[in-house]
Amino acid sequence: MNGMLEYQTQGFNGYAVKYSPFFDSRIAVASSANFGLVGNGRLYILGLTADGIQAEKWFDTQDSLYDTAWSEAHENQIVVACGDGSVKLFDIALNNFPVQSWQEHNREVYSVSWNLVSKDTFASSSWDGTIKIWSPQRPTSILTLPTHSCTYSTAFSPHSPSVLSSVSSDSHLRIFDLRTPASASNHLVHLIPIHGAPPAPGLPARQSFPPSECLTHDWNKYRSSIIATAGVDTIIRTFDIRNPKAGPLALLPGHEYAVRKLAWSPHLSDVLLSASYDMTCRVWTDGTSNTQQDVFRGGGKELGRLGRHTEFVTGVDWCLFGAEGWCASVSWDQRLLVWDVRAVMGQ
Amino acid sequence: MSAAQKRLGQVSGHLAGSKSGITPTEGDSARAALLQKNPDDIVVTACLRTAFTKGGRGGFKDTAAADLLVGAFKALLDRSKIDPALVEDIAVGSVLAPGGGATEFRAAALAAGFPVTAAVRSLNRQCSSGLQACVDIANAIQSGMIDIGIGAGVESMSSQYGPGAVTEFSELLDSHPEAKNCKVPMGVLSEKMAKDKNIPRTVQDAFAASSYQKALKAQEAGLFNEEIAPLTVKWEDPNTGDVKEITVSKDDGVRPGITAESLAKIKPAFAKDGSIHAGNASQISDGAAAVLLMKRSTAEKLGQTILGKYVAASVAGVAPLLMGIGPWAAIPKVFEKTGINKDDVDIFEINEAFASQCVWCANELGLDPKKINPKGGAIAFGHPLGCTGARQVSTLLYELRRRGEKIGVTSMCVGTGMGMAAVWVAE
Repeated sequence: MNGMLEYQTQGFNGYAVKYSPFFDSRIAVASSANFGLVGNGRLYILGLTADGIQAEKWFDTQDSLYDTAWSEAHENQIVVACGDGSVKLFDIALNNFPVQSWQEHNREVYSVSWNLVSKDTFASSSWDGTIKIWSPQRPTSILTLPTHSCTYSTAFSPHSPSVLSSVSSDSHLRIFDLRTPASASNHLVHLIPIHGAPPAPGLPARQSFPPSECLTHDWNKYRSSIIATAGVDTIIRTFDIRNPKAGPLALLPGHEYAVRKLAWSPHLSDVLLSASYDMTCRVWTDGTSNTQQDVFRGGGKELGRLGRHTEFVTGVDWCLFGAEGWCASVSWDQRLLVWDVRAVMGQ
Repeated sequence: MSAAQKRLGQVSGHLAGSKSGITPTEGDSARAALLQKNPDDIVVTACLRTAFTKGGRGGFKDTAAADLLVGAFKALLDRSKIDPALVEDIAVGSVLAPGGGATEFRAAALAAGFPVTAAVRSLNRQCSSGLQACVDIANAIQSGMIDIGIGAGVESMSSQYGPGAVTEFSELLDSHPEAKNCKVPMGVLSEKMAKDKNIPRTVQDAFAASSYQKALKAQEAGLFNEEIAPLTVKWEDPNTGDVKEITVSKDDGVRPGITAESLAKIKPAFAKDGSIHAGNASQISDGAAAVLLMKRSTAEKLGQTILGKYVAASVAGVAPLLMGIGPWAAIPKVFEKTGINKDDVDIFEINEAFASQCVWCANELGLDPKKINPKGGAIAFGHPLGCTGARQVSTLLYELRRRGEKIGVTSMCVGTGMGMAAVWVAE
């Protein structure tokens, strides 16, 4: 493929990749030695230059790193999700050490997500069965939302400062609205069984699946109520949270092993990118590009795939700037690939 | 287990789950999901029971229910080596004890060596009380209310079985036809159900005889040795009046020489033209059982041996007069919750309240007879009401482990018209 760029994260297996929301040439990679099982973590800050990808800086951590999120308010700040249960904030103008480290989670932190609307808070989720909300200015978390289940992914809505979501090993998509009063429900407003609800009298029978661990999800950037989920059962699903009982809108089967990461396109409302244990990245449309009806006819399909990684692909992200197809992927093969999805479509 | 091993387990879980997702058999993938080990699983790290002995005649005839419970608790502490101060709550299922047994069961926990910080309560969901106790403790752990708890069951039918266990019905209850059915005696309604559902006596006797034969074989092969904790008690010899100490370590209801033909000679107990008799109904017995439950993460931290895990439970109501069909209603419900089907299950422990209802449920659900109660059931060794649900956990998990099998279901019918079922996985 022409124009594909590559960077070797020597000795470190990739876990997550994020483009800077401020600079079109800056990418962060969260990575871990020994496949994230034991040993150090490393956060790479990489620059896209005329001479290829160059490391501007890196930060080493005691334990593995599983996810990262750029601050939406400060162009030099970035948080990481750490295997020892800590969440750390780095300033890339400084060297070596984080400017803040919060040690509250009891187990591996697996995802971090910055609030895209108010920009002053971020969320983390952990295998300890909680989501925590943080402010960079505060020494302790602001709020803890229990899920009672190993929570692989949490994300703020790109359309509201107070709505966030999570998916976890109990096969459920949760929606929290922080405007609801603090009560026994802990701000939980929807609990959606991803595998499908059991058949109920009076409702038409639906295709149902056994529950399975859900590993990743993402909010659509244009349609404020649409979320895509995926995980161990290999099927990507989209849900409309305005009608949580309706089950999935689109089912996109195709990956051969569990899906590790999903990202909706920042440019096209129907396009999704996925990364999987089957070593591929795939581009999908959920079938909503033409008419709203298409999705019910199963118009969703795979548009193309990247097969260049040689190990589990763990992270993908879209470039927010410039032409509408550029993205980056990281893998346990210790490589970051920067590529244009238009080059793999229709192959 | 080290942190690295746990992380590896997590990743291999992702791969194992999706691999079976590729093969289209849905049952397989649900089974695979069930077999996955997660830190928040509710696991059993010790379970046991006392022997069951005949009501009024057996080794425990002079032992109070609370004393049986003390014996079971002591044995559980001894086997698990758990620090009793870590146990936060104990639920005890019991049916006949006046006042639910709340006072003497708390006292029993203290006498067994638990500190005052271990809370105790009793509960009564009739014949499923022991299972309900385990499920309540599992739910309390799952919800974060407690970290470590014990589900138990006990019944001394020798001392507490009789008409006193049910309050007189008010006029209001008696005037409501369905409500009134709740007080119809078990034997009478089972006889009626056997007639309505057309379950011939020959089928019942054959099922009962096979329960006796399986239990005898299991007892001779020592298959109950792991689940039974021997208990030393005082016992009065009815012939001489002498009181002596005996150690009870065997179910005394199990006996040789029982065949469908020998059972065919017994007179029906509830109706002249009936089909139910002492030989094809559960025995009246004394006994206690206990199950130690906690999260997998807690068990690993404490170095406890994990015997199996609790997955899910269901409860279902049925017409009071058809109480025997309870398992038929409850088992599909728990299958729906867990996504498995009958072929995924290796052993069903279905309580044999009456041969008639057990065999009807099994046939109606299309269960493989070889998978049902492989070591016999309540017909052969007894049904101390509140204890049975907790007893089944031990009977099931040790047998699954012995055979190298994985998934088991415990279930029973419940007086006044209910059924309960639970799914367990041996490890």
